[in-house]
Amino acid sequence: MGESFRFSDDKELTEQTDQDLARAVLARDRKAAARFVEMFADDVYSLIWNRLTPRVGAVDDLVQETFLAAWSALGRYTGEAPLRQWILSIARHKVHDHYRRAFQWNFDAVDDEPAEAESIETALLETERSERVLATLETLRPEYAALLRWRYWDGQSAREMAVATGKTEKAIERMLARARMEFREKWEAAHGRT
Amino acid sequence: MDEPRRKAPARLKSRIYSALVEKQAEEGLLPLGQCQGLCVFEQAVALLPSEDLQSRNPCRVCHARVLAENLEDPPIWWPNCPYSDFKKS
Repeated sequence: MGESFRFSDDKELTEQTDQDLARAVLARDRKAAARFVEMFADDVYSLIWNRLTPRVGAVDDLVQETFLAAWSALGRYTGEAPLRQWILSIARHKVHDHYRRAFQWNFDAVDDEPAEAESIETALLETERSERVLATLETLRPEYAALLRWRYWDGQSAREMAVATGKTEKAIERMLARARMEFREKWEAAHGRT
Repeated sequence: MDEPRRKAPARLKSRIYSALVEKQAEEGLLPLGQCQGLCVFEQAVALLPSEDLQSRNPCRVCHARVLAENLEDPPIWWPNCPYSDFKKS
């Protein structure tokens, strides 16, 4: 077994040191595991917290799931991308999985097509992180809030969401329309018509 | 749009570290004698002549782990303890 992992410079990380760290973690060096957590936990936490806010109850679990998934996949890390980018991509997948789980909906019940609410869509896109939007999302039913965050904050298209959930694109669009309608109702109740 | 940067809670880092080391330990950890930056307790274990013992995870029975996984600012100050370092990072 090789020598224990140690950085020569904590701040100037190169791809080589990323690979050194990956190898050391895989070599079951506990000190490398500590370094791995210390280096990337804030980034992963920040990404997931920002994607899930204002419903942040699942953030801790998703961060931990991300690291355990990274451990399982670390043997396939090639060093082509910085380790930070690599683990953040795993975190994004975890967020998508979370959206899919939160997105339990009986699509058969959605057989009509509510009118589009373009002004509400614009509000979601342009003022996406404002306190008022967050507060309104908090009042929606969880599956609607998850759907709107997934679509507008995570930038997933209806087609991508359909593939991810095994639903049709049309069903996703209907569901989005419903979610936007509920958002508009809550928004107008709180802030008047936009 | 720049997203606000947040720091992960120290107790979360501690729990993640514990979980990772548990995974590493499933096939035996790198013996403490081959590790650098040992805490005072690990140094004591590293003196043992058994590589099997050195490949185990003494943090499992350490009060520092329990404190760090449950308190954001645990009373742990000794050097080279990851659980102590997480509260400073």
